[in-house]
Amino acid sequence: MGSVTGNFTSESPLHPAARAVFLDAIDKGWADPAKLHNSSRELDHLLNESKALFADRLGVEPAALSFLGEASLGHFLAISGLNRALPAPRLFFPSTSRQEVLEVVGSHTGASALGVDLDGAFSIPDGSKEDLLVLQTVNGETGAISPDPSEFIGRIFVDATASPLQPPPQNWSVALWDSRSWNGPAGLGILAIRDVGGWVNPLPHLDHRVVPGGFNPALAIASAVALDAFVKDFVANEAATRRFNEMIRRFITDEIGEVDIASPDTARAEFLSFSFLYVDALQLVDMMNRRGFAIDSGSACTSAALEPSHVLAAMGRLTHGNVRIRLHSSIAESEIHALLKALKECVEELRH
Amino acid sequence: MTHVNALGRRCPLPIIMIAKAVSSCPSGEVLTLSSDDPATWPDLQAWGRLTGKVVKQLEATRFEITA
Repeated sequence: MGSVTGNFTSESPLHPAARAVFLDAIDKGWADPAKLHNSSRELDHLLNESKALFADRLGVEPAALSFLGEASLGHFLAISGLNRALPAPRLFFPSTSRQEVLEVVGSHTGASALGVDLDGAFSIPDGSKEDLLVLQTVNGETGAISPDPSEFIGRIFVDATASPLQPPPQNWSVALWDSRSWNGPAGLGILAIRDVGGWVNPLPHLDHRVVPGGFNPALAIASAVALDAFVKDFVANEAATRRFNEMIRRFITDEIGEVDIASPDTARAEFLSFSFLYVDALQLVDMMNRRGFAIDSGSACTSAALEPSHVLAAMGRLTHGNVRIRLHSSIAESEIHALLKALKECVEELRH
Repeated sequence: MTHVNALGRRCPLPIIMIAKAVSSCPSGEVLTLSSDDPATWPDLQAWGRLTGKVVKQLEATRFEITA
């Protein structure tokens, strides 16, 4: 095993500030924030502070936010809730949407997939006021940014679970974030409903709450601190991240070759997806791991279902030999150089 | 006509096999490939785009490639 350890996966350890707050919040987070005791009121106050921080960083009103114990449930709540409020909507979604979205829209009649080009770009459809558009702000595999849907006059579910850094479009109806996308604790989603009159709860429910409840207050409080730290770190390192992204693109094209870069130049710089021709991704991920580098892949051989990434396939990109890199703000230039050296050696060995 | 049988082989083997076969054929020759791997058709199209080869899907598991 090499001496360098570089984490280029989508996950990252909890920020130290968020970890400290999490441990403290476990002690304070046992009460029911809806009750009137001192401990309950203290927790309610902490949660409201967290909600205000989330609202500020995510660009929505605090009153629109609900915490969700399972972020993926938010896709169902958002799409089905909007769908129920409309008489017979047509439902549009890009074919590069998250698997969770594809699973939900699959049960809706009138759902139409929007085809994408090699860069993952697609056209916003002409919709009526009674139509529904599912739009991801950022694609979680490639970092591609969706087009501005301001011309769409129907309702829009914004899937922002891949990144908190791309604000929702002005005409959003419901939006969803996942704490993991800012390296916060797993097990927390944030659902925002702009107009509760335009959304009907699709789950059995006892009261006015839009989510089933059951979230962990300590996770919410720690996640707000993690988001704050994530945004600050990103801003401080934005130029370096863009430079590293360009370095990697140049190197894999010029020094390794026969590579298909799926992330368009206009994608968010923290994301990079590329595929090496004639390379087995499972072996590549394993070889890189043995050298101390953790990377992700969307190739079929690395998925439980042995299916290739539907995102790469929809874009017409090479699905085998795929590597997904996440450029965390903490990554140093020396780690990029070491990663590229290891990638070149591994790819050459596998192609030999 | 050269036929490459990659049935039962998983990615990237079908693409590696067809690439090897194509490299030993004169330009313009037509080859066929049998493969039941779900990644083959998307990858064959991407490979065709990257290498300038014309590819066609004849049936669910049968493909045509012009060298």
